[in-house]
Amino acid sequence: MALMPKRVKWRKSQRGKIRGLATRGNKVSFGEYGLQSMEPGWITARQIEAGRVAATHYLHREGNVYVRIFPHKPVSSKPLETRMGKGKGDPEFWVACIREGTMLFELGGVEENVARNALVRVASKMPCRCRFVKRRHGL
Amino acid sequence: METVAKKTTVLKGERRNGVGTRLSRALRAEGRVPAVVYGHGETPETLSLNLHDVVMGLTRGARTFEVEMGGQKNQFLIKEVQYDHMDTTPIHLDLTRVDMNECVTVRVGIELRGTPKGAADGGILDQHVADIEVECLVSKIPETLHPLITELGVGESLLVKDLELPEGVKATLDPEERIASVRAKAAESDEDSEEGEEGDSAEPERIGRVRKDDEDGKSDKG
Repeated sequence: MALMPKRVKWRKSQRGKIRGLATRGNKVSFGEYGLQSMEPGWITARQIEAGRVAATHYLHREGNVYVRIFPHKPVSSKPLETRMGKGKGDPEFWVACIREGTMLFELGGVEENVARNALVRVASKMPCRCRFVKRRHGL
Repeated sequence: METVAKKTTVLKGERRNGVGTRLSRALRAEGRVPAVVYGHGETPETLSLNLHDVVMGLTRGARTFEVEMGGQKNQFLIKEVQYDHMDTTPIHLDLTRVDMNECVTVRVGIELRGTPKGAADGGILDQHVADIEVECLVSKIPETLHPLITELGVGESLLVKDLELPEGVKATLDPEERIASVRAKAAESDEDSEEGEEGDSAEPERIGRVRKDDEDGKSDKG
Protein backbone atom coordinates (compact mmCIF):
# COMPACT_ATOMS: atom_id res chain seq x y z
CA MET A 1 0.00 0.00 0.00
CA ALA A 2 1.48 3.35 -1.00
CA LEU A 3 1.82 6.10 1.57
CA MET A 4 -1.23 8.32 1.97
CA PRO A 5 -3.13 9.96 4.83
CA LYS A 6 -5.64 7.81 6.70
CA ARG A 7 -8.21 10.59 7.01
CA VAL A 8 -8.54 13.84 5.06
CA LYS A 9 -10.79 16.86 5.36
CA TRP A 10 -10.99 17.38 1.58
CA ARG A 11 -10.55 14.78 -1.16
CA LYS A 12 -8.97 17.11 -3.72
CA SER A 13 -6.60 20.05 -3.42
CA GLN A 14 -5.43 22.84 -5.68
CA ARG A 15 -1.91 22.64 -7.07
CA GLY A 16 -0.42 25.46 -5.02
CA LYS A 17 3.09 26.91 -5.20
CA ILE A 18 6.17 25.94 -3.26
CA ARG A 19 7.53 29.18 -1.91
CA GLY A 20 10.53 29.77 0.31
CA LEU A 21 13.17 27.59 1.86
CA ALA A 22 12.96 24.83 4.45
CA THR A 23 13.07 26.39 7.90
CA ARG A 24 12.17 23.20 9.69
CA GLY A 25 12.69 19.55 8.90
CA ASN A 26 16.09 20.57 7.51
CA LYS A 27 18.42 18.99 10.08
CA VAL A 28 19.57 15.43 10.71
CA SER A 29 17.44 14.71 13.79
CA PHE A 30 16.95 10.95 14.12
CA GLY A 31 19.84 9.14 12.45
CA GLU A 32 23.47 9.93 11.88
CA TYR A 33 23.43 10.62 8.13
CA GLY A 34 20.82 12.19 5.91
CA LEU A 35 19.74 12.95 2.36
CA GLN A 36 18.86 16.61 1.90
CA SER A 37 16.92 18.09 -0.97
CA MET A 38 18.64 20.86 -2.93
CA GLU A 39 15.58 21.80 -4.97
CA PRO A 40 11.91 22.36 -4.27
CA GLY A 41 9.35 20.03 -5.83
CA TRP A 42 6.85 17.24 -5.44
CA ILE A 43 7.92 13.75 -4.41
CA THR A 44 5.29 11.11 -5.06
CA ALA A 45 4.38 8.36 -2.62
CA ARG A 46 5.83 5.82 -5.06
CA GLN A 47 9.17 7.64 -5.21
CA ILE A 48 9.32 7.79 -1.42
CA GLU A 49 8.55 4.08 -1.20
CA ALA A 50 11.14 3.31 -3.90
CA GLY A 51 13.74 5.22 -1.90
CA ARG A 52 12.86 3.39 1.30
CA VAL A 53 13.03 0.01 -0.45
CA ALA A 54 16.39 0.90 -2.06
CA ALA A 55 17.90 1.85 1.32
CA THR A 56 16.49 -1.17 3.18
CA HIS A 57 17.65 -3.51 0.42
CA TYR A 58 21.17 -2.10 0.41
CA LEU A 59 21.47 -2.23 4.20
CA HIS A 60 20.30 -5.89 4.34
CA ARG A 61 17.90 -4.86 7.12
CA GLU A 62 20.73 -3.48 9.25
CA GLY A 63 20.67 -0.02 10.78
CA ASN A 64 17.65 2.26 10.83
CA VAL A 65 16.03 4.03 7.92
CA TYR A 66 13.97 7.13 8.74
CA VAL A 67 11.62 8.63 6.16
CA ARG A 68 11.27 12.31 7.06
CA ILE A 69 8.61 13.26 4.50
CA PHE A 70 5.00 12.24 3.98
CA PRO A 71 2.73 12.67 0.95
CA HIS A 72 -0.12 14.82 2.28
CA LYS A 73 -1.21 16.35 -1.03
CA PRO A 74 -3.58 14.58 -3.45
CA VAL A 75 -3.00 15.15 -7.18
CA SER A 76 -5.97 14.63 -9.44
CA SER A 77 -6.09 14.01 -13.17
CA LYS A 78 -8.70 13.47 -15.83
CA PRO A 79 -8.96 10.11 -17.60
CA LEU A 80 -7.62 9.83 -21.16
CA GLU A 81 -9.87 10.80 -24.08
CA THR A 82 -12.21 12.76 -21.84
CA ARG A 83 -13.69 16.07 -22.95
CA MET A 84 -12.84 19.12 -20.91
CA GLY A 85 -15.28 20.23 -18.24
CA LYS A 86 -17.50 18.03 -16.08
CA GLY A 87 -15.56 18.98 -12.99
CA LYS A 88 -12.19 18.21 -11.51
CA GLY A 89 -10.69 14.77 -12.08
CA ASP A 90 -10.34 12.11 -9.43
CA PRO A 91 -7.27 11.89 -7.14
CA GLU A 92 -4.62 9.77 -8.87
CA PHE A 93 -1.66 9.86 -6.53
CA TRP A 94 -0.25 11.57 -3.45
CA VAL A 95 2.80 13.82 -3.18
CA ALA A 96 4.97 15.43 -0.53
CA CYS A 97 5.79 19.09 -1.15
CA ILE A 98 9.51 19.61 -0.67
CA ARG A 99 11.34 22.85 -0.13
CA GLU A 100 15.04 23.47 -0.72
CA GLY A 101 16.84 22.06 2.33
CA THR A 102 14.22 19.52 3.42
CA MET A 103 15.69 16.36 4.94
CA LEU A 104 14.21 13.46 2.96
CA PHE A 105 15.73 10.33 4.50
CA GLU A 106 17.99 9.57 7.43
CA LEU A 107 20.10 6.54 8.30
CA GLY A 108 21.50 5.46 11.64
CA GLY A 109 23.42 2.54 13.10
CA VAL A 110 25.67 2.00 10.06
CA GLU A 111 29.15 3.07 8.97
CA GLU A 112 29.53 6.25 6.97
CA ASN A 113 30.60 4.57 3.73
CA VAL A 114 27.64 2.17 3.92
CA ALA A 115 25.26 5.06 4.61
CA ARG A 116 26.74 7.05 1.75
CA ASN A 117 26.30 4.18 -0.71
CA ALA A 118 22.75 3.52 0.47
CA LEU A 119 21.77 7.18 0.18
CA VAL A 120 23.30 7.44 -3.31
CA ARG A 121 20.87 4.72 -4.33
CA VAL A 122 18.00 6.54 -2.65
CA ALA A 123 18.99 9.80 -4.34
CA SER A 124 18.74 8.13 -7.74
CA LYS A 125 15.05 7.44 -7.02
CA MET A 126 14.33 11.07 -6.17
CA PRO A 127 13.07 13.61 -8.71
CA CYS A 128 15.25 16.38 -7.26
CA ARG A 129 18.96 17.02 -6.70
CA CYS A 130 19.98 15.78 -3.27
CA ARG A 131 23.09 15.77 -1.15
CA PHE A 132 24.54 13.58 1.60
CA VAL A 133 24.82 15.23 5.02
CA LYS A 134 26.07 14.20 8.46
CA ARG A 135 24.69 15.07 11.87
CA ARG A 136 26.39 18.03 13.54
CA HIS A 137 27.59 17.00 16.99
CA GLY A 138 28.89 20.35 18.19
CA LEU A 139 27.42 23.80 17.86
CA MET B 1 39.88 10.39 26.00
CA GLU B 2 37.49 13.34 25.95
CA THR B 3 39.05 16.57 24.76
CA VAL B 4 38.28 19.97 26.13
CA ALA B 5 36.94 22.38 23.51
CA LYS B 6 39.74 24.10 21.65
CA LYS B 7 41.25 27.30 22.91
CA THR B 8 39.19 30.41 22.64
CA THR B 9 39.10 31.89 19.17
CA VAL B 10 39.83 35.61 18.93
CA LEU B 11 37.50 37.56 16.67
CA LYS B 12 37.10 41.19 15.73
CA GLY B 13 33.61 42.48 16.38
CA GLU B 14 31.91 45.58 15.05
CA ARG B 15 29.02 47.26 16.75
CA ARG B 16 25.86 47.19 14.62
CA ASN B 17 24.15 50.46 13.77
CA GLY B 18 20.70 48.97 13.77
CA VAL B 19 18.74 45.77 13.92
CA GLY B 20 16.23 44.04 11.68
CA THR B 21 15.97 41.72 8.74
CA ARG B 22 17.17 44.18 6.08
CA LEU B 23 20.29 45.24 7.95
CA SER B 24 21.07 41.65 8.91
CA ARG B 25 20.81 40.55 5.29
CA ALA B 26 23.06 43.41 4.22
CA LEU B 27 25.63 42.30 6.78
CA ARG B 28 25.51 38.70 5.57
CA ALA B 29 26.02 39.90 2.00
CA GLU B 30 29.25 41.57 3.19
CA GLY B 31 30.48 38.30 4.69
CA ARG B 32 29.62 39.14 8.28
CA VAL B 33 27.37 37.38 10.80
CA PRO B 34 24.99 39.34 13.04
CA ALA B 35 25.22 38.46 16.71
CA VAL B 36 23.78 39.49 20.03
CA VAL B 37 25.51 39.57 23.42
CA TYR B 38 23.57 39.34 26.67
CA GLY B 39 23.88 38.11 30.24
CA HIS B 40 25.21 39.14 33.65
CA GLY B 41 22.34 41.60 34.06
CA GLU B 42 23.79 44.06 31.56
CA THR B 43 22.11 45.62 28.56
CA PRO B 44 22.12 43.40 25.46
CA GLU B 45 24.41 44.55 22.66
CA THR B 46 24.25 43.83 18.96
CA LEU B 47 27.40 43.26 16.96
CA SER B 48 28.65 41.58 13.82
CA LEU B 49 31.50 39.12 13.33
CA ASN B 50 33.48 37.94 10.33
CA LEU B 51 31.77 34.86 8.87
CA HIS B 52 35.01 33.10 7.91
CA ASP B 53 36.46 33.51 11.39
CA VAL B 54 33.23 32.28 12.99
CA VAL B 55 33.12 29.20 10.75
CA MET B 56 36.79 28.43 11.43
CA GLY B 57 36.19 28.76 15.17
CA LEU B 58 33.13 26.51 15.13
CA THR B 59 34.88 23.93 12.96
CA ARG B 60 37.69 23.76 15.49
CA GLY B 61 35.13 23.08 18.20
CA ALA B 62 35.30 26.45 19.94
CA ARG B 63 32.77 27.00 22.73
CA THR B 64 33.87 30.51 23.59
CA PHE B 65 34.88 33.50 21.46
CA GLU B 66 37.15 36.30 22.57
CA VAL B 67 35.75 39.34 20.83
CA GLU B 68 37.81 42.48 20.35
CA MET B 69 35.54 45.48 20.05
CA GLY B 70 36.23 49.14 20.63
CA GLY B 71 39.69 48.44 22.04
CA GLN B 72 38.32 46.00 24.61
CA LYS B 73 38.62 42.22 24.65
CA ASN B 74 35.79 40.19 26.20
CA GLN B 75 35.15 36.47 26.59
CA PHE B 76 31.77 35.22 25.43
CA LEU B 77 30.20 31.80 25.62
CA ILE B 78 28.48 30.68 22.42
CA LYS B 79 24.91 30.08 23.52
CA GLU B 80 23.28 29.31 20.20
CA VAL B 81 24.17 29.24 16.52
CA GLN B 82 21.45 29.60 13.89
CA TYR B 83 22.17 28.08 10.51
CA ASP B 84 20.70 28.72 7.07
CA HIS B 85 18.10 26.48 5.41
CA MET B 86 20.78 24.04 4.18
CA ASP B 87 22.14 23.82 7.73
CA THR B 88 25.64 24.83 6.60
CA THR B 89 26.28 28.54 7.04
CA PRO B 90 25.80 30.36 10.37
CA ILE B 91 23.35 33.25 10.02
CA HIS B 92 23.17 34.44 13.63
CA LEU B 93 24.97 33.93 16.94
CA ASP B 94 23.81 34.28 20.51
CA LEU B 95 26.71 35.04 22.85
CA THR B 96 26.59 35.35 26.63
CA ARG B 97 28.94 37.18 28.94
CA VAL B 98 30.84 34.73 31.16
CA ASP B 99 33.75 34.45 33.53
CA MET B 100 36.10 31.63 32.66
CA ASN B 101 35.65 30.28 36.20
CA GLU B 102 31.88 30.33 36.03
CA CYS B 103 29.88 27.09 36.12
CA VAL B 104 27.58 26.82 33.11
CA THR B 105 25.10 24.32 31.69
CA VAL B 106 25.72 23.40 28.06
CA ARG B 107 24.74 20.67 25.64
CA VAL B 108 27.56 18.43 24.44
CA GLY B 109 27.29 16.08 21.47
CA ILE B 110 27.83 12.34 21.76
CA GLU B 111 29.65 10.58 18.94
CA LEU B 112 29.79 6.83 19.47
CA ARG B 113 33.17 5.22 18.82
CA GLY B 114 33.73 1.70 17.51
CA THR B 115 31.46 -1.09 16.34
CA PRO B 116 29.58 -3.00 19.05
CA LYS B 117 30.34 -6.71 19.31
CA GLY B 118 26.57 -7.29 19.24
CA ALA B 119 26.52 -6.02 15.66
CA ALA B 120 28.52 -9.07 14.59
CA ASP B 121 25.84 -11.26 16.21
CA GLY B 122 23.14 -9.66 14.12
CA GLY B 123 22.25 -6.80 16.45
CA ILE B 124 21.34 -3.26 15.41
CA LEU B 125 22.83 -0.25 17.17
CA ASP B 126 20.34 2.44 18.22
CA GLN B 127 21.49 5.82 19.52
CA HIS B 128 18.74 7.28 21.69
CA VAL B 129 20.41 10.49 22.79
CA ALA B 130 22.48 12.61 20.42
CA ASP B 131 23.64 15.18 22.99
CA ILE B 132 23.45 15.60 26.75
CA GLU B 133 23.34 18.53 29.09
CA VAL B 134 26.39 18.91 31.33
CA GLU B 135 27.43 21.29 34.08
CA CYS B 136 31.03 22.42 34.17
CA LEU B 137 33.37 25.38 34.24
CA VAL B 138 33.54 27.40 31.04
CA SER B 139 37.21 26.49 30.66
CA LYS B 140 36.43 22.77 30.90
CA ILE B 141 33.59 22.35 28.42
CA PRO B 142 34.27 19.11 26.49
CA GLU B 143 34.21 19.36 22.71
CA THR B 144 32.31 16.12 22.01
CA LEU B 145 31.96 12.95 24.05
CA HIS B 146 33.29 9.82 22.34
CA PRO B 147 32.16 6.80 24.38
CA LEU B 148 33.60 3.45 23.28
CA ILE B 149 30.84 0.96 22.49
CA THR B 150 32.83 -2.06 21.29
CA GLU B 151 31.82 -4.09 24.36
CA LEU B 152 28.06 -3.70 23.84
CA GLY B 153 26.38 -7.02 23.15
CA VAL B 154 22.84 -7.68 21.92
CA GLY B 155 20.33 -6.42 24.48
CA GLU B 156 22.91 -4.30 26.30
CA SER B 157 22.82 -0.55 26.71
CA LEU B 158 25.18 2.33 27.31
CA LEU B 159 23.81 4.46 30.13
CA VAL B 160 24.57 8.02 31.19
CA LYS B 161 26.37 6.69 34.27
CA ASP B 162 28.69 4.65 31.98
CA LEU B 163 30.01 7.80 30.31
CA GLU B 164 33.57 8.70 31.20
CA LEU B 165 33.18 12.42 31.69
CA PRO B 166 36.25 14.61 32.10
CA GLU B 167 37.08 15.85 35.58
CA GLY B 168 34.81 18.64 36.73
CA VAL B 169 32.08 17.80 34.24
CA LYS B 170 28.73 16.54 35.55
CA ALA B 171 25.80 15.25 33.52
CA THR B 172 22.41 16.62 34.54
CA LEU B 173 20.46 13.72 32.99
CA ASP B 174 19.19 10.74 34.97
CA PRO B 175 22.16 8.32 35.36
CA GLU B 176 19.94 5.43 34.25
CA GLU B 177 19.01 7.16 30.97
CA ARG B 178 19.96 5.09 27.92
CA ILE B 179 22.31 6.66 25.40
CA ALA B 180 22.70 3.75 23.01
CA SER B 181 21.65 0.14 22.88
CA VAL B 182 22.04 -2.88 20.64
CA ARG B 183 18.81 -4.66 19.80
CA ALA B 184 18.23 -7.93 18.03
CA LYS B 185 17.19 -7.69 14.43
CA ALA B 186 13.39 -7.81 14.23
CA ALA B 187 11.66 -10.55 12.31
CA GLU B 188 10.56 -9.46 8.85
CA SER B 189 7.10 -7.94 8.97
CA ASP B 190 4.82 -6.88 6.15
CA GLU B 191 5.21 -3.22 6.97
CA ASP B 192 8.99 -3.32 6.92
CA SER B 193 9.03 -5.43 3.81
CA GLU B 194 11.78 -4.62 1.36
CA GLU B 195 9.46 -4.95 -1.57
CA GLY B 196 7.10 -2.11 -2.22
CA GLU B 197 3.54 -3.24 -2.83
CA GLU B 198 1.57 -2.10 -5.82
CA GLY B 199 -1.93 -0.72 -5.78
CA ASP B 200 -2.88 2.61 -4.29
CA SER B 201 -6.47 2.81 -5.34
CA ALA B 202 -7.98 3.04 -1.85
CA GLU B 203 -9.03 6.52 -0.79
CA PRO B 204 -8.63 7.99 2.69
CA GLU B 205 -11.60 8.47 4.95
CA ARG B 206 -13.28 11.91 4.91
CA ILE B 207 -13.31 13.83 8.18
CA GLY B 208 -16.70 15.07 9.36
CA ARG B 209 -18.62 14.01 6.24
CA VAL B 210 -21.45 11.48 6.24
CA ARG B 211 -21.27 9.35 3.13
CA LYS B 212 -24.35 10.27 1.10
CA ASP B 213 -23.66 7.71 -1.60
CA ASP B 214 -24.61 5.02 0.87
CA GLU B 215 -28.11 6.44 0.75
CA ASP B 216 -28.68 7.74 -2.77
CA GLY B 217 -25.70 6.40 -4.72
CA LYS B 218 -24.19 9.85 -5.44
CA SER B 219 -20.60 10.66 -4.65
CA ASP B 220 -20.01 13.88 -2.75
CA LYS B 221 -17.96 16.71 -4.22
CA GLY B 222 -14.92 18.11 -2.64
